[in-house]
Amino acid sequence: MSTATARVPAPAGSRRAAAIPVVLAFFSGPVGLVTKIGLLSLSNGLAVWAAYVLVDHRNWVALAVLAAATGLIDYVYLARRRTPAAKFLVPATVFLIGFQVVPIIYTVEVAFTNYSTGHIASKADAIRQIERVTLEPPANGKSYTAAPARDAGGNLVLVLRDDQTGKDYVGTDERLTALAPGTVTTGALGIASAKGYRLLKGNELFSLDKTLNSFVVPTAGGAGIRMQGLSQAVELRPTLRYDSRRDAFVRTRDGTVFHDNGEGSFVSATGEELEPGWKTFVGTKNFGSIIHNSAIRKPFLQIFWWTFVFAVSVVFLSFAVGLFLAIVLNKKGMRFRRLYRSAILIPWAVPGFLSLLVWQGLLNDDFGVVNRVFLNHVGLNVPWLFDGDWAKVSVILVSFWLTVPYFFLVSLGALQSIPDELVEAARVDGGGPIQIFRRVTLPLLLVAVSPLLIASFAFNFNNFNNIYLLTSGCPCDSAGGIAGSTDILISYTYKLAIATGKGQDFALASAVSIIVFLIVASISAVSFSRTKALENLA
Amino acid sequence: MKITTWRAAALALLTAVLVAGVALSTASATVRKARAQTLVIWADNDRKAAVTQLAQQWGAARGVAVSVVVQDFGQIRDKLGTVAAADAPDVTLAAHDWTGQLAANGLVEPLFLKPAVAAQFPKYTRDAFSYGTAVKRLYGVPVAIENIGLVVNTKLAKVPTTWAQLEREALAFKKAHHTAFGIAVQQGTNGDAYHMYPFFSGLGGFVFGVNKAGNLDPSDIGVANAKFLKNAGLIDKWNKEGLINSKLDASTALNAFLKQQTPFWLTGPWNSDTLKKSGLSYRIVQLPKIVYPSVPFLGVQGLVVTKYASAHGVESLAQDFVTNFMASPTAQAALAAANGRFPANTVAGKSVKDATLAQFGKAGVGGVPMPNIPQMSSVWTDLGQAWVRSTKGAGAMPAKRSFTGAARSIAAKIG
Amino acid sequence: MSTAEVSAERAVSVPARPRRRRKLFENWWRHLVGIVALVVSLFPVWFVVSAAFDHSDSVSGTSFWPNIPTLANFTNILHNSVPDKTFQGHVDSAFGRWYLNSVVIALLTAFFTVILGSLAAYAFSRFRFRGRRTGMLFLLLIQMFPQLLLVVAIYLIVLNVGGVFPVIGLNTYTGLIVVYMGGALGVNAWLLKGFFDTIPKELDESARVDGATPGQIFWGVVLPLALPVLAVVGLISFVSTLNEFAIASAILQTKSHYTLPVGMRGFIDQQYGQRWGPFTAGALMAAVPATLLFLSLQKWLVSGLTQGSVKG
Repeated sequence: MSTATARVPAPAGSRRAAAIPVVLAFFSGPVGLVTKIGLLSLSNGLAVWAAYVLVDHRNWVALAVLAAATGLIDYVYLARRRTPAAKFLVPATVFLIGFQVVPIIYTVEVAFTNYSTGHIASKADAIRQIERVTLEPPANGKSYTAAPARDAGGNLVLVLRDDQTGKDYVGTDERLTALAPGTVTTGALGIASAKGYRLLKGNELFSLDKTLNSFVVPTAGGAGIRMQGLSQAVELRPTLRYDSRRDAFVRTRDGTVFHDNGEGSFVSATGEELEPGWKTFVGTKNFGSIIHNSAIRKPFLQIFWWTFVFAVSVVFLSFAVGLFLAIVLNKKGMRFRRLYRSAILIPWAVPGFLSLLVWQGLLNDDFGVVNRVFLNHVGLNVPWLFDGDWAKVSVILVSFWLTVPYFFLVSLGALQSIPDELVEAARVDGGGPIQIFRRVTLPLLLVAVSPLLIASFAFNFNNFNNIYLLTSGCPCDSAGGIAGSTDILISYTYKLAIATGKGQDFALASAVSIIVFLIVASISAVSFSRTKALENLA
Repeated sequence: MKITTWRAAALALLTAVLVAGVALSTASATVRKARAQTLVIWADNDRKAAVTQLAQQWGAARGVAVSVVVQDFGQIRDKLGTVAAADAPDVTLAAHDWTGQLAANGLVEPLFLKPAVAAQFPKYTRDAFSYGTAVKRLYGVPVAIENIGLVVNTKLAKVPTTWAQLEREALAFKKAHHTAFGIAVQQGTNGDAYHMYPFFSGLGGFVFGVNKAGNLDPSDIGVANAKFLKNAGLIDKWNKEGLINSKLDASTALNAFLKQQTPFWLTGPWNSDTLKKSGLSYRIVQLPKIVYPSVPFLGVQGLVVTKYASAHGVESLAQDFVTNFMASPTAQAALAAANGRFPANTVAGKSVKDATLAQFGKAGVGGVPMPNIPQMSSVWTDLGQAWVRSTKGAGAMPAKRSFTGAARSIAAKIG
Repeated sequence: MSTAEVSAERAVSVPARPRRRRKLFENWWRHLVGIVALVVSLFPVWFVVSAAFDHSDSVSGTSFWPNIPTLANFTNILHNSVPDKTFQGHVDSAFGRWYLNSVVIALLTAFFTVILGSLAAYAFSRFRFRGRRTGMLFLLLIQMFPQLLLVVAIYLIVLNVGGVFPVIGLNTYTGLIVVYMGGALGVNAWLLKGFFDTIPKELDESARVDGATPGQIFWGVVLPLALPVLAVVGLISFVSTLNEFAIASAILQTKSHYTLPVGMRGFIDQQYGQRWGPFTAGALMAAVPATLLFLSLQKWLVSGLTQGSVKG
């Protein structure tokens, strides 16, 4: 072997490509070193800035993590190491951990809470909100045209005119006092003036917002008059009272006690629940409900099987056809080659859900073009979307249509990595095209592409869009069941957790997703270890 | 040797940057955007201009700045729960069926309308925005109502006054023109309980019953109630005749009507413009009474005050804007017209000039507001699919079984 | 060695008579396959085109021609004067700005993805270190977590990090790109590694003997040879980022910062009364950069760059 090819070899072939290696080579000298130092300094500078802000917020945990991460990065790039692998891995890994691993950890954490409709706030917020929303107008409750004002002594008062009787009052935070008629005059915007009181206006009024909203003029029976807006007030009575000693709400009417049930709500002995609740840790309750709820558990195996079949079919079909097209359209000197290739890629450039919508129309049993214009003339009418089994076929076919461009592209790229001389040698040895393909091309291709196949399998296993937008998981012909004929695990999860029950149950969705993830990951890990044998071929 | 020099250089550079970094951070103290007295309002695309104009009018009178931010209407409900407090709105446009979920999450504040003002809004519009398990409170001020109506191509058929007449005319047209359906109403693979509701109510169906206190009772599911099941046989009859075909989706229904393949189309005011530009002569009426009045679902849109208003110190302002200013007839008419809907305020309603809009409004008389409790989200799919199953032509499931199954599934989900 | 190559090439390229006829016959069926693929691929796209020229805002697979033909959808989008449903006002749109945002963000993301991915793939390909196999498996498995649920978590992370570094917080382009970088080490790393594996290690060795550091070998020797696969990864990354909706809509908050999918979603966000006319028109215009990119990258994919240099 000649060592003449050792120095930065100019690739034989296209002249255009020569420019890029020169550029790349330029960066690998001292310029590269300066760049490296520059970037490292930048990362450290940012770390110090972040540390400053974190100390300001007293976020010690984040500060510790930041210090550890920065230290690690510095060590990797400055210390003398035998294997430089870490230097290459660090940049991408940092982003991976930040925006893939951490969200997964967060989602796992959510699965152990009760995060759902009615349980999104903190407990303190919930208590305050319950107190506010359970005020009610008493039976003969009054409403007033009102204006906040200051009395002679500078205290805050409410000047009130009863909407029904027209009588005028002034309310302090201790009592309601009647005013002589004629003291108060009204105008277009409500109360215009009151003798002896200075009405608040403009910024002075607006800046008192919080005070005003907690200002209550007590009246009979525990009720009070409160401002509602800038020009009206209402008499409201609390129906619940919070007992902080017992950490419970007590209904004033009948003394019912609502205690904290440990799962984020105040409930009474009879099961009556106060809203809103709050978000709290509930342990493995979500996982338990999946396992113990027969409505959820029963169809699980069947849906799982269909999801598996769907993912495998789509991947297999798309890869086979994509590879076929790549090989067929790879012939040098063939005319219109670029046209065909671009046409195959165009479906990929159109937004996925738009294509799905179009296909939903195309495949409509009675009105879609596919049936009406093509198949009806041959006497066929395929129930593409409204029959349980045909809907499964439709879903696979449409996903296949959407996935072929990707495998076509990947196959085109992978075919370039197969050295011509191997194919030549096999041909010289007397092999026919099919044999060459099976013995030489395909195994080499699979080495490069098998991880992609596995990844595509995982993607289609979780392909919510393709199922939900085409058929909503239906035809839902099993009256009484939640799952439809084309539901896959993820769309089933969505129906269970997002479009159901008392609203959205994000925690349950997270729990189901974790279970699905564990299943898919196990399958993939097993298939991966089986392709390990192929990995060392090249 | 070489390496050490580089290392030293690196450390020097590092130190320089560290110092610079500290200097930078001390210089730029956290700049919190001063909210001052600004009312932040979320509106959608269609109504941004109208909301901006009205808000500025109010703001000028009160001496307060307003800021209108555009959001996708369909995303507002979910965004309210996850938005950062600094970016959160004080007031937002909302659909009434979000009320339950928003209130249960503690995201909206209860409001109060003066009796004189409240009287201008039909009770069902106020009920649409009311919610409460312990105490029922009003959470929003209604602005616009929308409902579907039966659009009749007056050149192809007479406006039906009875159900029998409608059925007769539709089937006759279907036979003469060899179409696959009589009345164009959209369903599709996803189902559409909203558009099928007039048929549902006409046969005696309802979604949730009302308990003694006047609140919706999620344990009383009327999807398969006795009265409805008694009349469910009519659905099978319609399916056999081909009067209703669940394979019609929204676009096909629209195309069919525009291409004059059917004289009857059930749709809402969002298609007013398409209707006007189509050049067809049409009238919009309520679906004729089947066994009971065939009333549509009503969607009420309005304004709500969020919990962030008090955190921002503008709660009174927000309440004043919503319950005082926006409840007035002029403001109501302007905002409802901005996206082509009928105003909720009856006084404003009298001033609507657009004939199509007025007809849609009349078609909604007696309508039922969509239940606004969070449990409603379990109902849509099941109810819609019950219709799809029973009206898909050959191989359709008998309606009784279909709807009983749906009721069971809903009950299982609500728990 | 070279003379043998040259003569082999010449033997293949000289068009002898019987060979030309056979070549024509061979190509005939390839053209057939190409045409079938073209028709099947573009058939549904026709309906998107038809909807873009239709005034009635419907997308249907039920009729070939528009109901109410018009050019208005395109002109409206480009002039930012898309009328709203009542035709009294305009939908808030900034198509040109969204387009620019999308293309720039997608280009930057593709660029960084290729760099980060190839750095990591090189390490996995060339170096044997502890945890190498586990690392690769981990990369693959991470991709399998349903993305639907991660969006909320990502939103919260960006929200909190943005409190410290506003420059990569919510509603920033940099924040969005940084999030996309999280996905750079996904399947792409595998594809790149597979390709790097086919570049013989002897090249590395000889360069090292000459005194090159690993960095110099990477940038100067290996990367230039990998251009075809870099092109593929770049294109895949570009197109997926261009069409990405979930994360972009969670992070971008104001109209002027939207990417194209997020902005155009505004045309169809109401449950009833969706403006499919402007939406499909916009989608068609958005498909142009991806198609152009592929057309221009075709050279990289077929030039067979590796062939010459690999032979020893």
